[in-house]
Amino acid sequence: MSTTQWNPASHLVSPDGKWYWDGAAQEWKPIGQPASEPVPTRPPAPAQPSRGLNSFAGTIRSEDLAYGQTVLVWARWILIGTGLLLSFWSPKDLLTLQIQLAAIIALAFGNFYLHVQLLRGQAALDNVVYGASLADIAVVTALVLVQGGYPSPVFIFYFAAIVGISVAFPTPITGLYTSLVVGLYGVISLATATTDEYPAVFTRLLTLAAVAVCGNLFARHEAQRREVAIRIHDELLDEIEQGASSQPETQPAAPAS
Amino acid sequence: MPNVREVRTAAQADQEDVFFGQTVIMWARWSVIVAGIMLVLWTSTNVSLLTQTMPFFLVLMAVNFFLHGRYVMGSPLNRTIVTVASVIDLVLITAIVVLWPGAHGLNNQFYVLYFPVVFAFALVFTRKIEVAYTGLAMLAYALACLLTGTVPLDLGNEDKVLVMRLIVIAAMGFLGNYYFRIQRDRLARAARGDRKTLADVRAGLAR
Repeated sequence: MSTTQWNPASHLVSPDGKWYWDGAAQEWKPIGQPASEPVPTRPPAPAQPSRGLNSFAGTIRSEDLAYGQTVLVWARWILIGTGLLLSFWSPKDLLTLQIQLAAIIALAFGNFYLHVQLLRGQAALDNVVYGASLADIAVVTALVLVQGGYPSPVFIFYFAAIVGISVAFPTPITGLYTSLVVGLYGVISLATATTDEYPAVFTRLLTLAAVAVCGNLFARHEAQRREVAIRIHDELLDEIEQGASSQPETQPAAPAS
Repeated sequence: MPNVREVRTAAQADQEDVFFGQTVIMWARWSVIVAGIMLVLWTSTNVSLLTQTMPFFLVLMAVNFFLHGRYVMGSPLNRTIVTVASVIDLVLITAIVVLWPGAHGLNNQFYVLYFPVVFAFALVFTRKIEVAYTGLAMLAYALACLLTGTVPLDLGNEDKVLVMRLIVIAAMGFLGNYYFRIQRDRLARAARGDRKTLADVRAGLAR
């Protein structure tokens, strides 16, 4: 049981204003009404279809971003943990190790902030979430460049980053980020690989794109399934209500005198 | 709000997971097929090599045509067949890693084909099956590297690279299945008529 206290200023609130996100318990909970003052409900903002976590303006995508961000944060922890382990495993030279550790530690601080935000149920700014993913890509790219481009084995960390991005972000943004990774790594690889290694470069880029497509396809299918589930639920409710209203009124039998 | 019965049973939810997940697995397999065919055409140096390697991918392509056709026709295959097809993917990728002319085991660069396959599988099946499959992929790759003599087990750079790759394969499985479980929980709440979920989805539908 969470001991999180309801504070309207520090939690994600549902569009109907009746629920808030308890990050510690990872559950939506009803907003407790304070005794003295009513809980202010957020008015809907139809004119501004913002998709930010903090705006949470009743779009299904915002919630998807909140759920997907958990995956993104864990993907980044895997990247950080593995990066640290491998940095200390037979380091080659001082400069490389310095760059690796500086980049990984910076990423760790950023991820800690995002993870704490998630646990507390506070809204992270859209730009922070998107920026953190850009930082993932930048760190992996920096490590790849420091280690000579194509021969660097750390490019596989792009996969962990792309997995998080593909399930957390909407399709256009996933496409944008994936294109960025494929383009960036493609250019680096083509510049540093020999002609014989081009098939391997092609395979790497193709599998990166495939992971992004699979993740995003799955996320979209799941959103459709939820919509269908809600429609079925609504139809059932209608049937129940119609059934109740069409039943003939009956009177209890009068007791015999 | 009236207490409404759940509209899907656990068995129905499992079947749906396999049905919807099949698409993801099939697209992952298409990526492997396209990569394989491109590589075979690109790297073949003589007719013999081309005729020996291409049939593997043609068979896989035929299998995926069948699976995709069944999916499009709305008759999903059962869990066992999907699992068997996914294990065949692992066998084929391991065969590429071990037998590909020029570079074997750790030096073979086509181990990346494991990533989409493991990730897609993890998006479909429950945790135990996913762990078994991911473990099988890791074991297959580790054995492929060890049996080809490309990893000396001296805690040197080759071991480091192998560990790195195995960790990323494990991460693909873990992250995929973690997201799968999040989504399954959300769907279950939507089907139960959870008020918060109803509000969210209605808001999304009304958008």
